[in-house]
Amino acid sequence: MTKQANFWQYNKVVLVFALIALTMPFWFPLMGGYSGLDTKIMIFCIFVVGFDILLGFTGYLSFGHAAFFGIAAYTTGIMLKSFSDNILPAMFVAVLLATLVSVMVGLLTLKRTGIYFSILTLAFAEMFHSMAMAMLQTWTGGENGLTGMPTPMLFDIKMQGASVFYFVTIVAIILFYVAKRIERSPVGLLMKAIKSNQTRLEYTGINARKYKLLAFVISAFYAAVAGALMVVYEPFVGHEFLGWHQSGEVVIMSVIGGVGTLIGPMLGAGFMLYFENVLSVDLGEQWLLVLGAIFMAVVIFMPGGFMEGIARLKKRYFTTVDGE
Amino acid sequence: MNDKTTDAPQAFFSCRELNAFYGESYVVQGVSFDIPEGDIVALLGRNGAGKTSTLRSIARAAEPAVSSGEIWLNNQPLHEMKAHEAARAGVQLVCEDRRIIPGVTVEENIILAQIAKPLGWSLEKIYSHFPKLEERRKQEASSLSGGEQQMLALARALARDVKLLLLDEPYEGLAPVIVQEIERMLKEVQTMGITTIIVEQNAVAALKLADHAIIIDSGEIVFTGTAQEVLDNKALREEYLAV
Repeated sequence: MTKQANFWQYNKVVLVFALIALTMPFWFPLMGGYSGLDTKIMIFCIFVVGFDILLGFTGYLSFGHAAFFGIAAYTTGIMLKSFSDNILPAMFVAVLLATLVSVMVGLLTLKRTGIYFSILTLAFAEMFHSMAMAMLQTWTGGENGLTGMPTPMLFDIKMQGASVFYFVTIVAIILFYVAKRIERSPVGLLMKAIKSNQTRLEYTGINARKYKLLAFVISAFYAAVAGALMVVYEPFVGHEFLGWHQSGEVVIMSVIGGVGTLIGPMLGAGFMLYFENVLSVDLGEQWLLVLGAIFMAVVIFMPGGFMEGIARLKKRYFTTVDGE
Repeated sequence: MNDKTTDAPQAFFSCRELNAFYGESYVVQGVSFDIPEGDIVALLGRNGAGKTSTLRSIARAAEPAVSSGEIWLNNQPLHEMKAHEAARAGVQLVCEDRRIIPGVTVEENIILAQIAKPLGWSLEKIYSHFPKLEERRKQEASSLSGGEQQMLALARALARDVKLLLLDEPYEGLAPVIVQEIERMLKEVQTMGITTIIVEQNAVAALKLADHAIIIDSGEIVFTGTAQEVLDNKALREEYLAV
């Protein structure tokens, strides 16, 4: 296969995603999505793709990724308010800070595996949550949230409506491409081997701890970018950005969509945010009951999420002779 | 000053006063032995005698915990290393259970062994020696048969710059036909001059390959000699190996 053909082969998924994402403002309103929901979906696509590098590749289930999302959101907000209304320096500082925090949290939590790891990450996130609520109230606004940011600017462009959407979407496409690159790199392979058998991997001369931390920090970086973009999208940061509910939502999106497939969690994010929007109009908070039922149905009947469902359909209707 | 425990030994591989525990149970009790470069040792003994524990201690597995003793390979102190560092120093453990990394393909299993330097055989060389693996290279590794998984585990060890090969029950749970195939592979390993320790229930099969034999009983070495001596001494085999 030529190099060029390889490029198309590898990046087909990214291109399809880019096409669907960039045309969203044209078809999404026809489905009843409010304006701006498409931007929110793109932001969560970033969050879950990064999360899948940790959960899907290495198998480590974090219940605390809201911490990095929230820290980046608060930092962006504070930077916009007190430093400059340009989003680039604000996002840079926010993502850097959240990523540094993740190195620390990762070093401590990755000492344990399984449920212990999940609980440790949850504990850390809750710690940051209570810090935002109490100790750091002056900066975070505590219960009321952080408000009063100026309209975010990208140099001379006002970050409102379509410009936010396209900015977010381009970031999402780039980060999805990066995630796909990681997936098929030796590092991605190492991460997947950590999921299957860490001990055996070490016998091949590899320091698994280093790569676990790398996966953790990369996923936190994605969460931080998403958190920073949330403030660009809507100049408000609430304490619930840091809450366990936020962390849990990302886990649900990933599981519904199909853990470890990168594209699946994005489908999950789109599905969840869309139905939250559509169903909550009629059902209000009750829509969570429906979500719970859907979640259970997926876990019981389609443990591989939507992606497994798609694969099954493909197998039933489109099986070719060579099986590919 | 006690030179005995501070200097690297003369032998290529050397184990000195190795003690290891599984929790409270004392599984390796003061084991000491040397192996000249390129020789094959059969480590024998009954079930639970401490053979696998000794092997795992050498590979620096997390369990059993080595409490004291020294392990030297080619003047490198393995006892100061972690599992991945020992692997880089040239130790390759081929475990007795399912020996591959599941969830990834056959080829990816080999590629994983070729990320950390130093490297051994290239992918092409491995495939020329194990054509069956090339046939199945895109297949998920855990879908291989037991014999093929053993082959893959061996191939993975050879993909690294292996200086000490540790084979834990290479024949366990395999059909007689496959045993023959593995035997042929191990004979080839023998001709390559890789220093090897084989732990095996099937003592006779291991002794046919080995130069030396060590018998362990209740965590202690009870016999050291040539493989031929054990093959010739029926009383010894009956006492410690029950074969």
